[in-house]
Amino acid sequence: MKKYLPLIFVVVLVAALTGCGVSQETSDGADDSVLVFGRGSDSVSLDPANVTDGESIKVTKNIFDTLLDYAEGSTEVVPALAESWESSDDGLVWTFYLRKGVKFHDGTDFNADAVVFNFNRWMDKDNPYHQGNFPYYGYMFGGYKGDEGHVIKEVVAKDDYTVEIRLNFPQGPFLSNIAMAPFAIVSPKAIKEYGEKIGEHPVGTGPFVFEEWVRNDKIVLKKNENYWLEGYPKLDKLIFKSIPDNSARFMALQSGDVDLIDGVNPDDVTLAEKNPALKVWLRPSMNVGYLAFNTEKPPFDNVKVRQALSMAVNKQAIIDAFYNGLAEPAKNPIPPSIWSYNDDIQDYEYNLDKARELLAEAGYPNGFTTDFWYMPVPRPYIPQGKKIAEAMQADFEKIGVKTNLVTEEWATYLEKTGNGEHSMAFLGWTGDNGDPDNFLYVLLDKDNAVAPDAGNIAFYKNDELHDILIKAQQSGDIKERTKLYRKAQEIIHEDAPWIPLVHSTPPLIGKKNIVGFVPHPTGSDKFVKVEFGK
Amino acid sequence: MSQLEISNDNQVYVNTPNDPSPLLEVWRRLKKHKLAMLGGAIIISFIIIALFAPLLTSYPYDGAVLEDRFLPPLSEGHIFGTDDLGRDLFSRIVYGAQISLRVGFLAVVGSVIIGTILGLLAGYYGKWIDMLISRIFDIMLAFPSILLAIAIVTILGRSLTNALLAIAIVNIPTYGRLVRSKVLSLKEEEFVMAAKALGMKNRRIILHHLLPNSLTPVIVQGTLGIATAIIETAALGFLGLGAQPPTPEWGTMLADSKDYIQLAPWTVVLPGISIMLVVLGFNLFGDGLRDVLDPKMKQ
Repeated sequence: MKKYLPLIFVVVLVAALTGCGVSQETSDGADDSVLVFGRGSDSVSLDPANVTDGESIKVTKNIFDTLLDYAEGSTEVVPALAESWESSDDGLVWTFYLRKGVKFHDGTDFNADAVVFNFNRWMDKDNPYHQGNFPYYGYMFGGYKGDEGHVIKEVVAKDDYTVEIRLNFPQGPFLSNIAMAPFAIVSPKAIKEYGEKIGEHPVGTGPFVFEEWVRNDKIVLKKNENYWLEGYPKLDKLIFKSIPDNSARFMALQSGDVDLIDGVNPDDVTLAEKNPALKVWLRPSMNVGYLAFNTEKPPFDNVKVRQALSMAVNKQAIIDAFYNGLAEPAKNPIPPSIWSYNDDIQDYEYNLDKARELLAEAGYPNGFTTDFWYMPVPRPYIPQGKKIAEAMQADFEKIGVKTNLVTEEWATYLEKTGNGEHSMAFLGWTGDNGDPDNFLYVLLDKDNAVAPDAGNIAFYKNDELHDILIKAQQSGDIKERTKLYRKAQEIIHEDAPWIPLVHSTPPLIGKKNIVGFVPHPTGSDKFVKVEFGK
Repeated sequence: MSQLEISNDNQVYVNTPNDPSPLLEVWRRLKKHKLAMLGGAIIISFIIIALFAPLLTSYPYDGAVLEDRFLPPLSEGHIFGTDDLGRDLFSRIVYGAQISLRVGFLAVVGSVIIGTILGLLAGYYGKWIDMLISRIFDIMLAFPSILLAIAIVTILGRSLTNALLAIAIVNIPTYGRLVRSKVLSLKEEEFVMAAKALGMKNRRIILHHLLPNSLTPVIVQGTLGIATAIIETAALGFLGLGAQPPTPEWGTMLADSKDYIQLAPWTVVLPGISIMLVVLGFNLFGDGLRDVLDPKMKQ
């Protein structure tokens, strides 16, 4: 029996030192244009429209292109596969003029028919190639063909390189939505050939061509020699390598097994800054980490209890300790980088006496005991769930609220919180397209407070808020939308369904000679212009 | 110590006028065993530390003082420094000694009691009872013990108590088998035959003759078993299946600080050394005890 413990330590140690496995084909001098990106876990599938997890999108972003894209380092919409676009005055008809001469990796032409084919695959549940759930399409375009709130009426090819998208009603964030990574154009020939298996044989128009996928280990992409952007990409190969443990990944970088890593322990940034061979990048903040109360379960159905707990969290102390200062305290669900952020809102102050008073008013003068769920894996917005939960546990205890820390395996955690089995739980969100709708509607509207897979795990239902969010969603006027979203943030602040904790600036660490890398706020980067300098 | 050994002693020391009591005899020989004494000293110092934990520490083991994170050892009254939540590491290690010793001891007592009862029954009655009990032991031993413990904790839920239960359960067969084999040989001894011939009841034979005579190997194995139990508690804690925060269990502390091995190595090293020392103490003492209690070792 006692034989096994040393064994466990040896395995952990070996895993830590070697960076979990084979590392022959890394870039140690021989071939400098292979970049190995170390990350926390493997992709689920490489069919961009059928995934929601960041680790899948990180890869598909480099294999595929979207009609529109975001500018480097911001969420400004720029041309990609569509060179230009225009809309009718009523905002109901959008015409996209496509880039000519672009070919898919399998040699077939990219044209209007391919775009129409992809849109029909996403939106029509009767389409023979609608194999999967296509969750993002439903989130962003109000459901599917035939649903009441469905935004897109039809997509037609006017000629070989002109596509017209006709809408049922105008949608404020339409262009931002179209630029999202899930709405990437996949080769129709490949979809027909592979069917459901397209997620394992991705064929797009992007800067890199899929080469090999070893599950739970690595995904290898090679340069697309015929990429439409002249002279790019610079790298010959791009390898995504999964190393689950944060410190093991950092050690793999130090030993040269990988070239660039995300999911960095904030404390390791201090070490990296001292290392002359390494460089730290900061991803612009477009996320929120929060503690959601299950507002359907007592005592959290009482707004005073929620407000009391909101006053018992010292956000700045948490940021200094666990984010190495690389975050700012959150008072709203949306980060300040997103337009319509309401800076007039005063956050609940850290005041334990007031919190105790509020708890007494709510009928809990002696506090209560509850469960406190924390995520088992590091996320960019909450890098160390357990530690932060422990720190908050100590603060809650001071106002008489005793908490048992609970966690589950990550997939189970998402499933159970999506079903509302928690009392209060950590979760977070990284914005996909820089639109406030992408935060407020997805995370706090009553439409999304439905188990299973609830996006709104506070199960917070407020009709006034719902009306505002829907009105803002269907409006094309940015001034009106700003006003509506500012109001929405006031309502949410009063009701306190969450304790918004932080907007983090997730660090990445890589070799000093990497140039051209600009981390994108959405959390997935296109490695088109990245190369190794001298 | 036991009837059998006393009779042996009498034969060996026929000419000694004042025969020492068997316990004293064991102690006399143990004293000469340097490694065993070292082990004993380590154990006793940890027991003292655990008993007087509240007197030895000036900081609580829980809570969080975020501005005092990662103070290095010997700073501002924190002789072992502080951990990632700014908690005094010395307090946590001292209170951790309480937990590890208690869990190790209770788990072993639990598995010794149940294992001994089952072993006695299987060995003495034989036939289908032996069949049943021995096959159950075989099945349990077919699993790697840590795997079985993980399975049990997963079913019962993550907590220190359940970890203790799991460790107690997985170690039952070790003691059960030991006692069974001892009973099988004792059964053939003349004094047991005599007791049977005199018409003594089974219960009396088991409790008064077989049990005392089979305890020696159990005591040795039990002492070594405490070391195993402590290390298994730490392993479960390391995997997040044992003690839950903010309990200062050493294995959990190790897992919590492994991310900081480069930044604050003392948060990993100190709990690690504590585990190592206690386990070493019990192993040395147990080995010494075996040497001393082994009849073949007697001069």
